[in-house]
Amino acid sequence: MSEKAGSESLKAGASQKDENGQRAEEAGSVESSGREEDESEPVALTRKRPEAKPSNEPIVAEEPVDQTLKVSDSTDASQTGWGYWGSWGKSLLSTASATVATVGQGISNVIEKAETSLGIPSPSEISSEAKVVTGGSQSSEASNTGGVDDSSSLPISGAFGVLSTLSTAVQSTGKSVISGGLDALEFIGKKTMDVIAEGDPGFKKTKGLMNRNSTLSQVLREAKEKEEQRTATEVTMATKKKAHYGLLFDEFQGLSHLEALEMLSRESDSKVKSVINALSGEELDMLKVELEQLKEAFSLAEFYDDEEEEKKGDEDFTKEITALFFELHISAKPDKLAAARKSAHEWIERLNVEAPKEEKMSEENQQLDSGDANQDVQTSVEDIHAFAIRSLAELTACSIEMFHKTAALVLHGQKQEVSATGRAKALSQMTIVLCKELSSLSKEFTTCLTTAGIQMWIIRKMFYAPGECSQFSAGLQRKKQSSAISKRWQQDCQPGDQNLTKTSSE
Amino acid sequence: MAYAYLFKYIIIGDTGVGKSCLLLQFTDKRFQPVHDLTIGVEFGARMITIDGKQIKLQIWDTAGQESFRSITRSYYRGAAGALLVYDITRRDTFNHLTTWLEDARQHSNSNMVIMLIGNKSDLESRREVKKEEGEAFAREHGLIFMETSAKTASNVEEAFINTAKEIYEKIQEGVFDINNEANGIKIGPQHAASNATLAGNQGGQQAGGGCC
Repeated sequence: MSEKAGSESLKAGASQKDENGQRAEEAGSVESSGREEDESEPVALTRKRPEAKPSNEPIVAEEPVDQTLKVSDSTDASQTGWGYWGSWGKSLLSTASATVATVGQGISNVIEKAETSLGIPSPSEISSEAKVVTGGSQSSEASNTGGVDDSSSLPISGAFGVLSTLSTAVQSTGKSVISGGLDALEFIGKKTMDVIAEGDPGFKKTKGLMNRNSTLSQVLREAKEKEEQRTATEVTMATKKKAHYGLLFDEFQGLSHLEALEMLSRESDSKVKSVINALSGEELDMLKVELEQLKEAFSLAEFYDDEEEEKKGDEDFTKEITALFFELHISAKPDKLAAARKSAHEWIERLNVEAPKEEKMSEENQQLDSGDANQDVQTSVEDIHAFAIRSLAELTACSIEMFHKTAALVLHGQKQEVSATGRAKALSQMTIVLCKELSSLSKEFTTCLTTAGIQMWIIRKMFYAPGECSQFSAGLQRKKQSSAISKRWQQDCQPGDQNLTKTSSE
Repeated sequence: MAYAYLFKYIIIGDTGVGKSCLLLQFTDKRFQPVHDLTIGVEFGARMITIDGKQIKLQIWDTAGQESFRSITRSYYRGAAGALLVYDITRRDTFNHLTTWLEDARQHSNSNMVIMLIGNKSDLESRREVKKEEGEAFAREHGLIFMETSAKTASNVEEAFINTAKEIYEKIQEGVFDINNEANGIKIGPQHAASNATLAGNQGGQQAGGGCC
């Protein structure tokens, strides 16, 4: 058994090396492709990427948190101009979609920022969409390459805010992703780096096709596809596939719902734009005020991770969501979400009951055959990890589904029985509830993993050289991962899904 | 898991004709007599085999209610195949086909394969629309036609698979550009290795023509 563990850690080492190699290659190609572009400048930002240390120290995972906070600050600063409203639906929706993506360890920030930057037209440009598009994509390119060539069409502060944002986000993504190991986060993160680096012809294609629609779901989708490709060629990936967030998220139809939600968002966005274009004078001012209020309602959503938050029962959670649906004036029930949540919590409970028993068992086994005991614990760490990722994927997919359904129902409703701001508040509250839920769930998983990890660590300490505790650190990695997922959620979803209230503003 | 192609389908038609039931029968092989009204769109996916190749069908099951029309239209985009469903026991669902067809043609790509489905063929005693009428409508508008029963599962597999076959043939004939995702077709990981370079090159050239 120790042999097996040894070879696994070897494998892990090797693949990490591969990654470094690959990353260096990518960086190389980025440079060369960067030069090919007429408007591109020194690739300062992207070149920083390889410097991010591929360390597997857990500490790294913590860092990006601060950086993301900075990131959201700078967005606020960049969104003060009136021109911002020209695309508020879009950028806000991207925030909502970012909700899921959080998994991507900060990519969502990058994407969101990229999208925001794409969508910031100066006031004079609200009527000329084509220009906005070009300006937007240039600005994202500029951000990528570190040089601002043609940002004259953009509010300067906005562009620079986005720039710095992007760079910090990229760095933090790089760091945290590298620390994550071979898993979903890594893939999504890597994909993002590719996107940012523009070294990916596929991205150029999509960018060309979709203009400023290089959205989150697309990145997630590509990440998933990449993983599918990888698994198609490698047969021995059974466990990794089991715990691949991107694949699981798709399996639970999260990707489809996200895509559908984005379709609705795009449509709504253009409707809002046309409404704005059609108005002038007093009417426009009034709408401006209303939109500002909407924005306010979403930016209110401050969410601190309460350590001493009391545990919520299944019923409380369902009640809370149902009440929010009621506030939204939407007849929907969170059945699916509640079921997913329940099964996750039940599993954890079962595990906690089993844990002491298992410990005893493995102690007994140790006397007979220490190898078997290790096997037991080892499997259970893998299982916990797989289940944790699966549950989080399911819960995030259900949440996106809920947002999508909510969007459809809000758009569907003909009458305005409720004010747009009222809905906005309910929606941002919903986001908070879901985030807290994910946070607490991932904390519970974290505890499970730690417990299982420690058990194993003790055993190893007793029977093997201390240097062989690689599995324990792997367990810690996983723990970091799942808590990172929830942290992302919390930060990224804050502004909520403002887009959904779009009809009411018309 | 690994597939050669992915096709996106949409299922459209009046409310209550059995769209969601058809999907459930196809993906889960079961029938649920009472179904909640679909809100916006629901999804299903299943793997099939055509010509020895694994093909993943990703199915968007849209809401049939009139009030959802403006929303469901946004989902048409990028579908390779459509199942246009009516209920053989309700004449009005057949009469509305023209509107559905216009809608579908207007909001999706021109090569989209459309399969006309007369559902609920198990309710022979309550039939209001003759099979010949369905066939005639399909002929007139260049659709494939089948009568199905989501309840007995009769022809359900065939409806989905024949649509896929038609799409597959169109790919072989070069009608569909598989590198343009707006056509609702994606190359899967099995193929990707050999096609990746091709996709990259062609993608750049088609940048102007895309939708979405």
